[in-house]
Amino acid sequence: MPTKNLGVIDKMKMFRWIAAALLTLVLSAVLMVRTIGTGLSAMSAQNGNWVTNVSTGSADAGIMLKATVAVGGLLASTRENSMYYRLNSVAGEPLRLNCRYRIEGDDYDADWWSITAYGWDNYLIPNRLKRYSFNNENILRREDGSWVIHVAANEQPENWLPVGPSGAPTWRKLPDYDFDLLLRLYTPGRAYLEEPQSAALPTVTLEGCS
Amino acid sequence: MKWLTTLLKWVLGVFLCAWVGQYLLALLIPNLVMEILYQMGGAEVGYNSLSVNPRPDETSRQVVRPSPDLLYANCIFNLEQGPLAIEAPVPERYWSMQFYQMNTDNFAGITNQRDESYRVGTVVKVTLIGPDNNPGDYSGEVIQSPTQRGIMLLRASGIGDDAKARAALDKSSCSPA
Repeated sequence: MPTKNLGVIDKMKMFRWIAAALLTLVLSAVLMVRTIGTGLSAMSAQNGNWVTNVSTGSADAGIMLKATVAVGGLLASTRENSMYYRLNSVAGEPLRLNCRYRIEGDDYDADWWSITAYGWDNYLIPNRLKRYSFNNENILRREDGSWVIHVAANEQPENWLPVGPSGAPTWRKLPDYDFDLLLRLYTPGRAYLEEPQSAALPTVTLEGCS
Repeated sequence: MKWLTTLLKWVLGVFLCAWVGQYLLALLIPNLVMEILYQMGGAEVGYNSLSVNPRPDETSRQVVRPSPDLLYANCIFNLEQGPLAIEAPVPERYWSMQFYQMNTDNFAGITNQRDESYRVGTVVKVTLIGPDNNPGDYSGEVIQSPTQRGIMLLRASGIGDDAKARAALDKSSCSPA
């Protein structure tokens, strides 16, 4: 075979290797972003629409969970200090800004608890009331101690948790939900530590969309 | 047909490598994110000193998912020059001192809840030592960091009247021992 043809074949082989390496890198990044983008749901305990992972913050957390926490929950504590339940969809439908949601609950076995709304960018949602959460002390309760939070962009009666556009530019949006809810239980009781998938939690329902 | 077999092998090889590659990339993420926080935070507030943060709101974008119900103070530490002395008065309401290494692991923590409620009203005094130090060489409450660098985070309940929580954080300190 002429030397000139050998050179062409070598170049072809080199091109294939470089293309394979670049494609592998890009595909690896896409797969990783996709896994992290699904949040904790793929590697966690599901409790109704809420999702948690008891390994958050601990050394025994898996590779993907650590990456997920680094991106979406940096400096999270281990479960003995606090447990985090996240909700970004109701009955499989992602949370939307044009919909109204109802959270109903009571009290929970923890030193204190709070429910916070975060934008898809993982930061607090700008709103004129500067109200980002409700907790076991500032929530308005019924006579029997139970409570209802209305999550919506427009003003609502009782406990209104306002949501709206996130602070980050929309071209950066990757998740399919517009915002999510985070339930924090500080110094949770044994039920949350041992049976996080069945311990008592608030219920979230869709009230309607415009 | 040979070229088709070669192409299929090539595509399969790329997908297999990419599947493994996502985990290798994910291994880098926690350290990368912490490194950015360490460098940017350190440049802003310094190392081995305590910084008390304003109450989180929509403008708080240094760390994802801040709790609007908590007050925070942090000490970005580097133990290469020796141990740190951390002192913190413990308020009555929820309070915790958590230690994070550079891969985001929460390797140690102190709280004022449940079994540790005896700490309420006291001043926690911790000596934070590096991975090469011998804990037996130090007295009192000693915490050994698995890495030379990391972040210590104080959390205090900011629910309702936060004056006592804020005073406790303001009186806390983190400095070379």
